[in-house]
Amino acid sequence: MTSRANLYLGLVSLVLALVVIFLWIPLDTDTGLIEKVRRRVTIGDALAPTIAACFVVLGGGLLVLAERNAADQPGLTSSNLRHVLWVLGLVALALLLMRWAGPLLMEDYRLLRATAPWKWVGFVLGGTILVTGLISAIERRLSLRSLAIGIAVTLPLIVLFDLPFDDLLLPPNGDV
Amino acid sequence: MSVLDYILAGVAAVFAGPELAFLGLPATPMMILCGFLLGIVVGSTPGLTAPMAMAVSLPLLISAFGFNPDALLPVMGFLIGVMKGGTVGGAVPAILFNTPGTPDAYMTTLDGHPMTTAGQPGKALRIAHFSSASGDTFSDIVLILCAPFLAVLVEQYLDLPEKTALLLLSLAFIAAVIGGSVGKGLISTGLGLLAAYVGTGEDFYPRLSMGTEELSRGFPITTAVLGVLILGEVFKSLEDERHRRGKGSVFKGVSNTGDQRLTRGDLRRIAPFIGRSAVIGTAIGALPGVGSTLAATLGYTVGRARHAKNSPEAPQFGEGAPEGIAATEAANSSVSGANLIPVLSLGIPGNAAAVFLILAAETIGGFNPGPSVFKFTEQPNPELIVAFGLFTAMMIANLLNWTIGGVFMRAMGVMMRIPKQILLPCVLLLTLTAIYVQETRMEAIWMAVVFGFLGYFMRRVGMSPLPFVIAFILGGKLEETARQAFAATGGDAFFLFSSPTAILLMGLMAATIFFSLRRKSA
Repeated sequence: MTSRANLYLGLVSLVLALVVIFLWIPLDTDTGLIEKVRRRVTIGDALAPTIAACFVVLGGGLLVLAERNAADQPGLTSSNLRHVLWVLGLVALALLLMRWAGPLLMEDYRLLRATAPWKWVGFVLGGTILVTGLISAIERRLSLRSLAIGIAVTLPLIVLFDLPFDDLLLPPNGDV
Repeated sequence: MSVLDYILAGVAAVFAGPELAFLGLPATPMMILCGFLLGIVVGSTPGLTAPMAMAVSLPLLISAFGFNPDALLPVMGFLIGVMKGGTVGGAVPAILFNTPGTPDAYMTTLDGHPMTTAGQPGKALRIAHFSSASGDTFSDIVLILCAPFLAVLVEQYLDLPEKTALLLLSLAFIAAVIGGSVGKGLISTGLGLLAAYVGTGEDFYPRLSMGTEELSRGFPITTAVLGVLILGEVFKSLEDERHRRGKGSVFKGVSNTGDQRLTRGDLRRIAPFIGRSAVIGTAIGALPGVGSTLAATLGYTVGRARHAKNSPEAPQFGEGAPEGIAATEAANSSVSGANLIPVLSLGIPGNAAAVFLILAAETIGGFNPGPSVFKFTEQPNPELIVAFGLFTAMMIANLLNWTIGGVFMRAMGVMMRIPKQILLPCVLLLTLTAIYVQETRMEAIWMAVVFGFLGYFMRRVGMSPLPFVIAFILGGKLEETARQAFAATGGDAFFLFSSPTAILLMGLMAATIFFSLRRKSA
């Protein structure tokens, strides 16, 4: 049986593009497609995004009308969605740690954000969690080796980005 | 200044530019060398790609050389080196371990690995290197000869409405030819344009920003490009690797038996295949968006037919024929130079590597790739000097390829031993860090992650992310040109049909979509 992935993708694209054209653009753009300012006609801010959405409409329409029975139609599976969820969860955890570990551990982190080694606390913790977590998830086991790799990877990044350049800030030191 | 003066000024800019403080050597040639070696390492490592290395290197390079026109040649020279090294390196794991380092090296596995199992890995690598370097050099010569002429023609004959039509044609062409589906290509292009228009515009209120401060600044180019291109690929590869684990893979050693040298007789045998594939790859590479994988496939297919006809008694393609490696490697390598023809002459990136060259030029400033670069004025045109400096950089990279490329490439088999499950998380952290050091705000990382998942979904449904990235980069330019064309034609709503050339370009756009659709549904 032929997959119906193209049909679904086409329909979703069509609906999204029509929402963009008829709701998002009119409600969230101050000038229309064409504007008349002091008897001069100019292109308004709404025209370019409308044309962009028309590309999506055209593409979605082609998928529905002309390519719905195409031979090769890869689609999303529940396994893909599970993968997205666990990667997103892990990345979110790592980024939150990266952002907040320093300020939570040290009350006056803002004053220390340019002082080694305190300024690296969030980056090392978040980076280690990210690398270790991903390795462990792929290997389906948590090991000391993956933890060691996680730490070992973040340290060269500090050497690469932070030590030689005064103007480069590692996360989260540009935000605090 | 005459043409010769500009050429000499370009060469001088490479050798007399900024110096590396700690060595006292001219920075550009040294950066080309470093980029080239890094490119070979990256190309030889399955799971890493040249664009990944370019993305991560860019903020470091810009920090090292600063935001001034003097930084252009060292930074872009490094990126050119990575691009060329990556092309050569992709053949290493393909030949030694039957695993293509880059997608376009897949056809190399078909004859390269049988040669390895027959005890001739050294010879197979030498053939791959010779063919790759030949194709690459040929392609660069065509670029140097064609790009200025094409740019001058565009500047002379195309006015604003025609330039707008040309941009639309390029986007439609890229959407139609990349990937297996015209519809998906158009959706990818539309999404890229839409993302480019968030938070921009001429009105006081930043359009499509939903009243939020984050969106009102628009999506930084690094978040969209690195997110969709690099993070999307990492997220997909993580899943592939997770599923692959447990099936096991045996890492076999490689042994040499017999003569591994490349003899004159070998060169005579493979020369026609290299020549044919170099022409095919260059012609394909000159079209924006048509990748090296298609060139490799076409070069291999044409070579296979010729070989079967002319030498039916020799080992055929797929059975360990040196001609098969030559046909593939010459074709995929000759794409890289020609791919810069649309970049330098029209300002339209044709592949991921070209995207990063444009990104570097935009970030540093002082060089806007496009037809306006090639203005041979009496007063020195700094952009034209940079362009000739880039041509010089490409030739230096070729020289390095011919001299040390082969030796370095043959030593890279060891890269196969780095496990992907360790490599991918490292690339992810490295890319997120590179994004942060450029934007210095956590929200940029979050945006990149969102774009990364968009790139992941695109790959999973068989939609190429490249049209998205190219449309994102060209979106601003398209709108600006259209606004100027509209104003110049006195508010003519049909300015895209105001001249025969513009009508022709718009007709070509419709024809491209129509014929691609028919070809792909046939």
